[in-house]
Amino acid sequence: MTNSVDPKAVTAAAVAAFGISKRFPGVIANDDVNFEVRVGEVHALLGENGAGKTTLSNILTGLYRPDAGHLEIAGSPVVLDSPREAIEAGIGMVHQHFRLIPTFTVAENIALGAPRVGEGPALRMGVIEERIRELGQRFELDVDPRARIWQLSVGEQQRVEILKVLYRDATTLIMDEPTAVLTPIEAEALTSTIRSLTDQGRSVIFISHKLGEVLSVADRITVLRQGRSVATLDADGATREQLASIMVGREVERVERRGTGALPGAPVVLAVEDLSADGDRGTPALRSVSFEVRGGEIVAVAGVAGNGQRELVEVLAGLRPRTSGVIDVDGELMARADARHPIRMGVAYVPQDRLGTGLAPDLSIAENLVLKRYRRPPVARPPFLRSSVIDAEAETLMAQFDVRAPSSHTPTRRLSGGNVQKVLLAREMSGRPKVLVVSTPTQGLDIGAVATVHRLLLDAAAEGVGVLLVSEDLDEVLALADRILVMYEGTITGAVEAEQASIESIGVLMGGGAAEDVA
Amino acid sequence: MSVASRLGVRLEPRVDVPRWMNWAVPIGSFLSALLVGSVVLLITSQNPISVYQRILERGFLDSGSLSNTLISATPLLFTGLCAAVAFRVGFFNIGGEGQFYVGAVFASGIALALGADAQSWIAIGAMILAGALGGALWAFIPGILRARFRTNEIITSLMLNYVAGIGATYLIFESDSFWRELSGTGAVFPKGKIIPLTAQWPSFDLGTLVVPFGLLLGVLVAVWLHVLQRRTRFGYEMRVVGGAPSTARYAGMRPARVVVAVAMLSGALAGLGGATDVGNFRHVLDPKGLQQSGFGYAGIVVAALARLNPLAVVFVAIILGGITNAGYALQGPDFPAGLVGTLEGLILFCTLGGEVLARYRIVLSRRRPEAMSA
Amino acid sequence: MSVNDNLFVIILASAIFYGTPLVFAALGELLSERSGVINLGVEGMMLLGAVCSAVVAANLDGPAALVLPLALLAGMAAAALGAAIHAFLVITLRVNQIISGLALTIFAGAAGLSSYLANVWGLGRNPSLNQFGRMDLFGLKDVPVVGPILFDQTLLTYLSWLLVGLAMVYLFRTRMGLHLRAVGESPQTADSVGIPVTRYRYGHVIVGGMFAGIAGACYSLTIVPTWANGLTSGAGWIALALVIFGFWRPDLTLVGAYLFGALSSLSFTLQARGIDVPSALLNALPYLATIVVLVLVSNSRLSRRLGSPAALGRPYEREER
Repeated sequence: MTNSVDPKAVTAAAVAAFGISKRFPGVIANDDVNFEVRVGEVHALLGENGAGKTTLSNILTGLYRPDAGHLEIAGSPVVLDSPREAIEAGIGMVHQHFRLIPTFTVAENIALGAPRVGEGPALRMGVIEERIRELGQRFELDVDPRARIWQLSVGEQQRVEILKVLYRDATTLIMDEPTAVLTPIEAEALTSTIRSLTDQGRSVIFISHKLGEVLSVADRITVLRQGRSVATLDADGATREQLASIMVGREVERVERRGTGALPGAPVVLAVEDLSADGDRGTPALRSVSFEVRGGEIVAVAGVAGNGQRELVEVLAGLRPRTSGVIDVDGELMARADARHPIRMGVAYVPQDRLGTGLAPDLSIAENLVLKRYRRPPVARPPFLRSSVIDAEAETLMAQFDVRAPSSHTPTRRLSGGNVQKVLLAREMSGRPKVLVVSTPTQGLDIGAVATVHRLLLDAAAEGVGVLLVSEDLDEVLALADRILVMYEGTITGAVEAEQASIESIGVLMGGGAAEDVA
Repeated sequence: MSVASRLGVRLEPRVDVPRWMNWAVPIGSFLSALLVGSVVLLITSQNPISVYQRILERGFLDSGSLSNTLISATPLLFTGLCAAVAFRVGFFNIGGEGQFYVGAVFASGIALALGADAQSWIAIGAMILAGALGGALWAFIPGILRARFRTNEIITSLMLNYVAGIGATYLIFESDSFWRELSGTGAVFPKGKIIPLTAQWPSFDLGTLVVPFGLLLGVLVAVWLHVLQRRTRFGYEMRVVGGAPSTARYAGMRPARVVVAVAMLSGALAGLGGATDVGNFRHVLDPKGLQQSGFGYAGIVVAALARLNPLAVVFVAIILGGITNAGYALQGPDFPAGLVGTLEGLILFCTLGGEVLARYRIVLSRRRPEAMSA
Repeated sequence: MSVNDNLFVIILASAIFYGTPLVFAALGELLSERSGVINLGVEGMMLLGAVCSAVVAANLDGPAALVLPLALLAGMAAAALGAAIHAFLVITLRVNQIISGLALTIFAGAAGLSSYLANVWGLGRNPSLNQFGRMDLFGLKDVPVVGPILFDQTLLTYLSWLLVGLAMVYLFRTRMGLHLRAVGESPQTADSVGIPVTRYRYGHVIVGGMFAGIAGACYSLTIVPTWANGLTSGAGWIALALVIFGFWRPDLTLVGAYLFGALSSLSFTLQARGIDVPSALLNALPYLATIVVLVLVSNSRLSRRLGSPAALGRPYEREER
């Protein structure tokens, strides 16, 4: 079938949702959601985390069946019972976390599950590759069909995801937070791809929680709040403030930068010099990085994920050996790569993978709170542990950090994301650290929890702790940091004082541009 | 598309597991295993009711049967603890079988070496230590290979079972080793030397019930393990390493060391079982007998049924000991060998399934078949 | 003395003879693992296959050309049934794959159902009448060197070559093979493009069971003609190691299987030649070699690149929030 549809010739909506509701045990994820996507338009679904965007896109792609309501495609009602049926109906999903198999080639990934080429069960890779090249030319999505996914950059992988959907003749593309993993420059390229799609009669459903990009990319915007569609408006004429208040439904607590930062003459608590380390593949991932953090200061490390930030924090936490360099904590040299060492020297670390690395999910809150102090008194009376002490400390810390849970014996895997992060921060701060390393501390949290976490980080700095904040969220970086270091391909490409920083200037550095280009 | 294929089964996690389920699920699983077992029996033209009745009588009810059950339960108790401790930290030691043999070799060796002149408590103490040491050393191999090279411990520990079996057989049947009886009938029919009387372990009479010393030792060890796991620093490390290895590393623990230590602890438990086998029951190194018993494999069943809880292992070992004992007592044309293992396997299957029912609710939904992929 | 009585030729020929059950068992496990399911029940399934095919072969009257295929089918069906139990427990009920596989081996294994059935059906008293004999393929049996090695094997060996070839084509040249690999690498991805993950997993676990059944029949119908409990003596476990050793590729697995076939046959071959080597050492050799090979493979950089299917051992469930 051909898909060049003249937008003006078709009056019916490409996709429309009527009264969609979906419940899960204990949660109403979607509650009477309505919207319609016109042919050839970019329609944004805007909402914060937990507003029901993911559930809705899973319904649109046939993964879930709604409890109530129905979908229409090109004016006729449809029931999508499986991803395959959604694809046949012309709906394709570009996932935020790419659904690609790293060890497969581009063409193999695209051919996966797609209608067969020719007769018989054989794989005809040549034909498939040819078709991918054609599509790539038509939509300006350049990628080598024979390359393996793990060899590609994130931006290229996203192109494969888009090609995968186009290969299946999708007329409506759902893009779930598509810019989350891209550099600002790659994001611009994506915008032009989206334009070329809509020019050729495709419709795009653009899912996001970022106001700015929604305003710049979308034609119309439907705002989701607590599972309900609360408004649909034209992007022209809409403002950030207007969208924000519809999206949140209340005034948002905004944590402001203190501006002051470290007092002059505050001691350097963390000094890193010429630090290099290898990544998981054994190739250099961190190349000769040097910086300092003073007590009471928040230093942010900005950058697109995968540019050495993970390796940096793991080296600081003693979880990854370094190949060269010196780490100095409050005047004391950190000797070996061993997690015990930094803990003893006062380096606290809140990892990105909170439940997988930061906590033991099956153990209780109380047991998790002593994870780094279980070896010594007062928690231990070797060889035993003192459960009375553990419980008492848990009560204190849970009150102090406002951890909400049925009891201190609740396993941490039962907690919400915000409470998990509070448990982690409570434990790390209870060790009275000199340095606090936090990695993407608010990823996946709802707005209220984000504000709490930000306040806790500012409190830590106010107590004189040197905070190293690794984050991909530029708004967060700009709101909290005193100084911003930008990482690209394992090196620090620039250090900017927060007062002089802007999203644009940091964006250039994140894409590998030199500091001079900023001016 | 047929109706059946559109009906999906979905598992939904229970928010709270009702208390009664802790009892109902094991009992229900046990009963359904008996039900499935009777289907097997019927297919093979046996009468299930009479088979079960005889197991119950010979395992638990007949006079003297309970004492024999305790004898059968003792090795299972040790191998059950062996598997339970190791599985807890995600170290799938299925080498309890071989570690049991090595424990028996070490314990009989030391008993023979000390000779008839040694004081009884010294001989018994030395056998306990030697058995534990033997098992620990044998388990050290898969432990260190896993820690050092990330080699799959399931296969290595299992391969070592065969090696240990071949080794023990060699000592008695294919060489003139220290363990082999070379005088008397032993010169013609290979067999092991009997350990001196002073090294033979006592049993205690409680009324009509005879309790082997090995069983008491096992119960003591089970209690000790319970305290170790629940109340000590090492137990805490075991729980973190078992559930979340990368968290353990993050917290400054050394998962590799913990795993090796637990592997050796686990092997020591199986080795203790081997010492019990020599000291309390056979009084001789009997490779054929050991290999036929398969205590190590049965220990995995015991541990899984006990949900890896050391105290529950005691209880499960006695139940399975009863079935095993009945199996020995009844063996013959109308009670074929292999029936006990079959029933044990069925009980295990049903319990595995039953536990899922305890943790999840089954939701029938009118959905596409793919929905069953849950 | 002809060149075909050369020790080297005899060792290679018996390597293939004794390696054949390992090829089947490892190939079956490979298919199962490619779909993301570990099945530690190989040994148990093999014994089930062995006992059921032996029972049919021993008790059915008729021409061998009819009885033997039926015996093979019976073995395959019994082992597939065992695999289906495992599949149900781990795919639908999401039970831990390791525990469930162990349970299957204990249930069906040397002290379990296989020996029970052998007892009930009186195996061992009646040695099997029908056996897979050696088959002189294309009349090339007497060709120097390659004759006895390649063309004087049983029908089962020729079948195993066919299946290895088919498996190679299936895995790497067909759409279903591509889908299978995707299910094992990333069930989420496979599901998102409409590949029925559950069906693929059930299918390949069960087919894997059938292969294990043939492997068992190799023992009871050729290698160990009179029944003995646990006659596979750990071959199922060696097959598990072979899958790792062969980097989940049928061709490499075949090579590994023959290597181990050579080791397992060494004690018979050398003793028949009157060469005196301690038999305990020779008997232990396959097991020790398995450990050594596993250590080498797990430590090499290569295995990290050509590693196991990424989703191996993990149950798949759609994210329900």
